[in-house]
Order: sequence, then structure tokens, then C-alpha cells
Amino acid sequence: MTTARAASEPNASVPPALEVRDLTGPAQSPVLRDVSLHVRHGGVHVVLAPMHSGKSLLLRLLLGLERAQRGTVSVDDATFDAANPDENDLRRVHRRVGVMFDSSALVSRLTLLENVELPLVEHTTVGGTAIHDVAAALLQDVGVVRDADRTPDELSRLDRRRAALARALALDPALVMIDEPGNGLDPHAATEFDETLRALHDRFAWGLLICTQEVRYAFRWPESVSVLVAGRIVEQGSLDQLLNSGHATVRRFVDRRGAA
Amino acid sequence: MVADGSDSDAGDTPPSFGPVRGRFISRGRLAARSAYWLAALLAPRPLERPAPVTSGVVRELDLLGFGAIKLVAASALLVGLITVFQAAYQLAPYGAEVVSGRALAWFVAREIGPIVVAILVVARSAAAIAGEFASMSANGEIDALRVMGLDPVKYLVTPKLAALLIALPSLTAIAVALAVVGGWIGMSVVLGYNTNLYLEHLHESLALRDVGVGLAKSLLFAGIIGIVAADEGLRVDRRVASIGAAATRSVVYCLLGVLGADTAVNALVYFIPGLT
Repeated sequence: MTTARAASEPNASVPPALEVRDLTGPAQSPVLRDVSLHVRHGGVHVVLAPMHSGKSLLLRLLLGLERAQRGTVSVDDATFDAANPDENDLRRVHRRVGVMFDSSALVSRLTLLENVELPLVEHTTVGGTAIHDVAAALLQDVGVVRDADRTPDELSRLDRRRAALARALALDPALVMIDEPGNGLDPHAATEFDETLRALHDRFAWGLLICTQEVRYAFRWPESVSVLVAGRIVEQGSLDQLLNSGHATVRRFVDRRGAA
Repeated sequence: MVADGSDSDAGDTPPSFGPVRGRFISRGRLAARSAYWLAALLAPRPLERPAPVTSGVVRELDLLGFGAIKLVAASALLVGLITVFQAAYQLAPYGAEVVSGRALAWFVAREIGPIVVAILVVARSAAAIAGEFASMSANGEIDALRVMGLDPVKYLVTPKLAALLIALPSLTAIAVALAVVGGWIGMSVVLGYNTNLYLEHLHESLALRDVGVGLAKSLLFAGIIGIVAADEGLRVDRRVASIGAAATRSVVYCLLGVLGADTAVNALVYFIPGLT
């Protein structure tokens, strides 16, 4: 298994945005085994996986929401032991990560503005006006500022995804993790969201980890891709490497979906 | 890995009423954390009162408190009438029908008012609170809060608990007043007794301490409803099928908790001299 690397070699003195070593979990009955990932600062890594192969679980293990059997997770300069996470380590990692779950997971009772303000209120000491301005600017960046005072239930899926992205970016993260970016979106809306994501990534250059079953994300960000099948990473490298993979399942999965 | 809505078998899943000890421990922890955040909410430092929490209290007060006023008012009027009729029926053989108003005032202020309001709030809101938290859990909202370093107890439970602690005593005061009005309707309009006599009996039998005991009970009930319903909602796994079961358990445990606490308080008041 090769470790995925960005197109350009990372500076050895700068810690990667994400480094995962030998992640196996959950603790009681492991579904994922020996997962290692690397995302450089400003880089994009796409984890491709068919349904029910453990990509949502991977995200939960990376975030310490489930206890692993073994493995370590480093985000920027913070590391936690996934088998026995220390609360302070976990907090330091969470402070550096922005996450977008597949369901958007906005707090349904709060307005979009309040949703984006939440992490700023908790983790910064700036005043209410400054927090409001930062949150409004983020909503402007993702294109939903006109709906700032509406609750998620009143919005389309696309706008909910956009607001969830704004919330994930609120604390200026080193790494953004996204579970199924196009979940529940029609092809047109999914493309609109992808364009927003790409524009923001180009502008802010956080590390980006995308877990998805849609092969088009590998074609959109082809530099670094992993294929997760039945809880194991069976291939890792650039999209070109995957298309020429000796692994029949990988070739079949990428060819068939990529053509679509 | 949230179960898809189409896979939901909430209606077929009987609620499991697991080990009692674990529930007590879990609720004790939740109560302690909620008490901490309630104290922080009242603290003078503005950063301890973030806007989402304070606006949450207002929103919950509207839903849990103001939203229940009509139901409580109508029920309290009827309870006043029922109590007077029952008292009059029992006292009539002794020729003491006229003192039914005395029994009503004391009983409503100390017992019926707080317990009826608590049961109505349980029926109306306990399942809603547990269901809301369980659905947030299934939807990944609770996980999202945790990952952002946000304590769900601070942002979700505290506003509901604060609203219940304000709403229940207020609703109880309204219920007691309207039950007394219901009693007056029963005594004066239906049974034909003099209004002044009813008011005189009311004045003689109703002490400020009775009202105080009733309001103190309602505070206790508010805490039980808030903690039990929130705990049932937050402790579920991330399956849509768990939402209905959590709502059912919430109502059952809230009712048992309210009635159990009422029994304990009554025993305490009865057996400790000076409290009766």
C-alpha cells in the first residue's frame, strides 16, 4: 500500500493537515483495518468507497466520536491516540478541523447565522458584533447570506449544504472533512456546490478530505485518492494510478462510475 | 450511518426500559452539568451568556410555557369544578357541603395544581423534547456540536431546563387561580351557595405557605421533566427507529418521576413537624 502524497512534496518542517496511521476500529468489532492517510496543507484527498464500506465510520473514528482499537490521528500540530483519546488532545484536534456531515447536521432550531456563530461564540473572545460580521461574511462566501435569519428546515438541501460548509469554516480550520458532499443533491445542485467548494478551497487552501461514493470527485480532485473496500484501503495514489490499478475491484469501480 | 427514513420501524420497536442504575447515574450527571450551565447563564459575565443560549430560553419559553397556557387554563377550570363536586358529594351526608370551598383551596394549591400542570406538561412536551434530541442525534447534529467543541448540555438542554423552571411555577400559579374560579362556579352557580361565603372560606383555608409548597413542588417537577426527557433523548443510538421509543420512555419515566417526587415531598412535609 502506498501512502497518498500531494503532487508537490511537502515541506518536512510543516506538519501535514492530516496524518492517519494504522487506524483500526471500532474497538469492539473492527470494521476498518490499518487505514493510513496523508493530506498536506492545501491539498485534497478523496476517499472513494462503495456504500456500506465504512466511510462514515472512518470520519467518526478520525474525529474521536468512536473509539478505535488502535491508530493515531494528527491534524496540523495536534495528535490524539484513537484507541485511548485524551480529552485535551481531542479538543485540540477538533479546534483545527471543520466538518461537514452527510446530513449537513445544522442545529435545526437555530437560524443559519446562529449556526455559524456557535463555534465562534464558544472558541473566540471577540464581541457579539464582530462574531455577527464574521458569520455573515462566511454565509456571503458560500452564497446563502440572504437566508441568514431562516432556519435550516426552510431551506433547500443545497443551501443547507452551503450553510454547513460555512459553519465548518468558521474557526479557520487547518483541515476540512466532508462526508458525501453531494448527498441528496440533484446533479445541477451538486455541481453548484462543488464549484463553491473549489472556489473556497482555492482561496483559503485548507487541507480537504472528502469521503464519498461518487467517483466524479476523484476526477475533480485527481491528485490523491484512496479506495476503501470492505473496511480496507485497497489502493492509494493519483487517479491515473487508480485507472491503471492491478486491483480488479478498483478498476471496475472507478471505470464504471467515472464514465457516468 | 444514519438509518434512512424509509428503513424506519419506529412503530414496531418496543421501547426498552433498561437498567435503572445506569439511568440514575446518567441523569445525575446531566443534572449536575445542567446546574453548572444554569448558574453560568445567570452569571454577570456576558460571554457566559452566549446569544444562542439566551435566545434559546426565550424560544423554549414560548413553546413550553406560553404554548401550554390554553390547555392548562381549560384543565384547571374543569379540575376546580370536579374537585368541588366531589368534595360536596362526600360532605353532603354530614351537612358540610358548604365547606367544600375550603377543601378545594388547600388541595388545589398544594397538590392538584402542581401535579396537574406537571402531568399536562409531560403529556405535551416530554415526548417532544426526547423526540427532538433523539432526532438531532440521528441526524448527526449532536455529533456536529461535539466536534465543534460545543457542549450539547449548554446549548440544547440548558435553554429547555431554564424555560421549564420559569414556565412550570407560572403555569401552576395560573392553574391554582383558575381552579379556584372553577370551584366558585361549582359552588355559586351550580350548587347555589353565596359567593362571599366561598371567598371567606377560601381566605380562611388558603395560607401563603400552601401556595409556596405548591410552587416549590412545581420547580422540582420542572427539573425532573427537563432532565429525564433530555436524558432519554440524548442517550439513544443514531437510528431513526430509536426516536419513537425514546419519546415513549420519556413520558413513562417523567410521569413516574413526578409522581414519585410528589409522594416523597408529601411524606417529608407530613412527617416533619412544622412543615404541615
